[in-house]
Amino acid sequence: MGTDTELGAHTEAEKDMAVMPGAETGMELHREAESDTAKEPGAGRQAKWNKYLAAGLMMTGISLALGILGLFWTPYSTTAMSAAEKFQAPSLRHFFGTDNFGRDIFSRVMQGLGTTVVVSSLVVAVSGTAGILLGAFTGYFGGLLDEVVMRITDAVNGFPSILLTLVIISLLGSGKWNVVLSLGIVFTPSFVRIVRSEFLRLRDADYIRRARLMGVGRLRILFVHILPNVFSVFWVSVMIGFNNAILAESGMSYLGIGVQPPDASLGKMLSDAQGYLQNAPWYACTPGLTIVWLVLGFSLLGEGIRRRGE
Amino acid sequence: MIRLENLSVAFDGTEVVKHVNLELREGEILGVVGESGSGKSVTALTLMGLVADTARITTGRILFGDVVLLEAGKERDKALYSRFQGEKMSMVFQEPQTSLNPTWRVGRQVEEVLKLHTDLAVLERRKKVLETFRAVGLKDAERIYGSYPHQLSGGQRQRVMIAMAVILHPALIVADEPTTALDVTVQSQIIALLREINEKQKNAMLFITHDLNLARRLCSRIAVMKDGQVVEQGETEEIFSHPVQAYTRKLIEAVPSRMKPRKRTGKLSQEETGNGMQEGAVSATPVLEVRNLSVYYRDGDNSLFARKKPQRVVEDASFVVYPGESLGLVGESGCGKTSLSRAILGMNRNIQGQILHHSQGPQMVFQDPYSSLNPARTIGWLLQEPLRAAGVRDPRHRMTKGDMEAAAYDMLHRIGMEEKFFHRKPSQLSGGQRQRVSIGQALITHPSFLVADEPVSALDVTIQAQIMELMQGLQQEMGLSYLFISHDIHVVYQMCDRIMIMKDGKILEMGVTEEIYRTPREEYTKLLLCHS
Repeated sequence: MGTDTELGAHTEAEKDMAVMPGAETGMELHREAESDTAKEPGAGRQAKWNKYLAAGLMMTGISLALGILGLFWTPYSTTAMSAAEKFQAPSLRHFFGTDNFGRDIFSRVMQGLGTTVVVSSLVVAVSGTAGILLGAFTGYFGGLLDEVVMRITDAVNGFPSILLTLVIISLLGSGKWNVVLSLGIVFTPSFVRIVRSEFLRLRDADYIRRARLMGVGRLRILFVHILPNVFSVFWVSVMIGFNNAILAESGMSYLGIGVQPPDASLGKMLSDAQGYLQNAPWYACTPGLTIVWLVLGFSLLGEGIRRRGE
Repeated sequence: MIRLENLSVAFDGTEVVKHVNLELREGEILGVVGESGSGKSVTALTLMGLVADTARITTGRILFGDVVLLEAGKERDKALYSRFQGEKMSMVFQEPQTSLNPTWRVGRQVEEVLKLHTDLAVLERRKKVLETFRAVGLKDAERIYGSYPHQLSGGQRQRVMIAMAVILHPALIVADEPTTALDVTVQSQIIALLREINEKQKNAMLFITHDLNLARRLCSRIAVMKDGQVVEQGETEEIFSHPVQAYTRKLIEAVPSRMKPRKRTGKLSQEETGNGMQEGAVSATPVLEVRNLSVYYRDGDNSLFARKKPQRVVEDASFVVYPGESLGLVGESGCGKTSLSRAILGMNRNIQGQILHHSQGPQMVFQDPYSSLNPARTIGWLLQEPLRAAGVRDPRHRMTKGDMEAAAYDMLHRIGMEEKFFHRKPSQLSGGQRQRVSIGQALITHPSFLVADEPVSALDVTIQAQIMELMQGLQQEMGLSYLFISHDIHVVYQMCDRIMIMKDGKILEMGVTEEIYRTPREEYTKLLLCHS
């Protein structure tokens, strides 16, 4: 007998007992047991709201909004140069100051943020989808397919990820879409592993056995019965994947093999700013801190989701 | 000698133990009986000083002789407790698997107790451990001493735990459900051992259990707990013969027992049951025929390089299930009863022999109510899923959305639950409610045969009785046949028309329930009956 079941449920259990004479006494009612007034299933969830989630949503929300806005509209042109406004420190006119060509850094950060968000979303979408499909089939069915796919993911994991992306980029050439493709391939194994282990675990759960017995089709078991139970773990890894994608994209752009001009990129801005660290520190700091802000936001979001799932 | 005075314990402001008064005299065995959530374990853990740090004593105190161990408003005195723990009081837990360190030889683990509390030399310690091992009935003490926990059986591990608890001759032993994880025959050996120790060492024993029958066999006095309170306390026989509180009466009545008259539910007439032993002698077409079935178990079925040496877990089983009857399958853990049931429903295809189903879509109810419902879905969705699946398989069975919903609501009524549960998720239900939904989910496609694998074993006695009643009611209503699997011979007695006794993969004995109970043929059956 777990102390867990002993702790929670007293007041709530009693309430329940009083209202439903037909059903059994709610002795081992779980902690989540809600009182009878809460009718809709969503009501129980509100209690799971937490600070991590709030902070993460706030931080990522601001960056996403700015980034997406930046793809269509920026306060100043991101390419217009102005010799008169070179190296302006941050001010109300230029929030993040100006660079060596007199371009508005805030506008460029907005656009770079947009590029980063789009690229990393696509990377996560590609690798996440591949991860769910491969993980579901390998985990549920096992056997030869599992063995082959897992050995391939081992092989992919065996290379340092930056090296592997370099190889793929050098084969395909640089550019936004090739960055998405190469990072997508590199990140797939981690998703496959997580999804696979969850499917492996749930494959033999009693409720899945019973679903099989009821004659539910295999694909329906995979994607309607098991998949929703994988999501809480999956979303956490999506958040981690987002972070890795953001950092990898910035790193590649910094090295000059990622997003190419005229697309603005936070990583590219960092490498451009290197030479001016002494006299225009804001040039390097603002894109750098933006990356930190974004990554921190996603980390908090991931942690928030994890805690809510518990 | 030990007194809990007006003790209340709270977690996060919720009191789980409320004003409990208990007294333990020297050499006495006091049983604390209650269902899960009654606060009996928290009481014991508080007494032992092992309760989680978030627990607060809100009123009362604990006295050990003249020493105040705990008092409301004061911090737990860890130094005081470490002097008492082990030497003056010790504890035996429910789960012998997790109570022993898997990486240490058990001899060393028991010796550790001596090392901490005495200044005996190495050889003396070893001698003392071996002595204690023999005293708790571990015959091959030398071998046990050098074994790791996984090399021992459940009963042996529990004996080791008991040896560890009694080696210092503590004045108080707290046993928290020490036999719940064990098979019945082993269970009664452990009970006998505890009684013997109590007689020899004269220590007081606090025996915590959910099982009234066990408490009756061991304890001289019993305290019944409910919702954190002791509702009744007194001499064991007094409580059983004249329970004062309604709750105690309910608890005693709910305990399945073969002393009580049994409700006949099956549709089988008397002549038919009389011939139950000879298959084929009965006119009705059975719903299930099993002929010479052997079931094999393969390790690592899904891995490419796994060794594929099948192991036979069920040997040459033959039986039939007739329409409207309940056939009970009784056996201890590991005897192959679950493997047999899985094979019958096609979940294990490594079989030899024949399984003939004469019914459509037989279903199964599992033991653990917490893992047999998909946590991501609502009750309504879960109840409709079998209908959807049936529609996909066979377009003739396709139903409209409204029809399915109506059928789900109808089933909700049949399993005795209110409509508001339709939109709830399994996590918002109690164990008994979940088991009701499981049964409903299995029956919604109107199968005529249901395999129930220990459907009530994970439930409290009062809820157990309700679920059994529900199953019997549904059987009559819907004309069901059950293959009812259980380790609990009392439960089977209450539920089944005929029973089979299984041991080590073989069906030893089969017959009409009353006959088996009155005149068991096999030694093993007699053993099972006399130990429970």
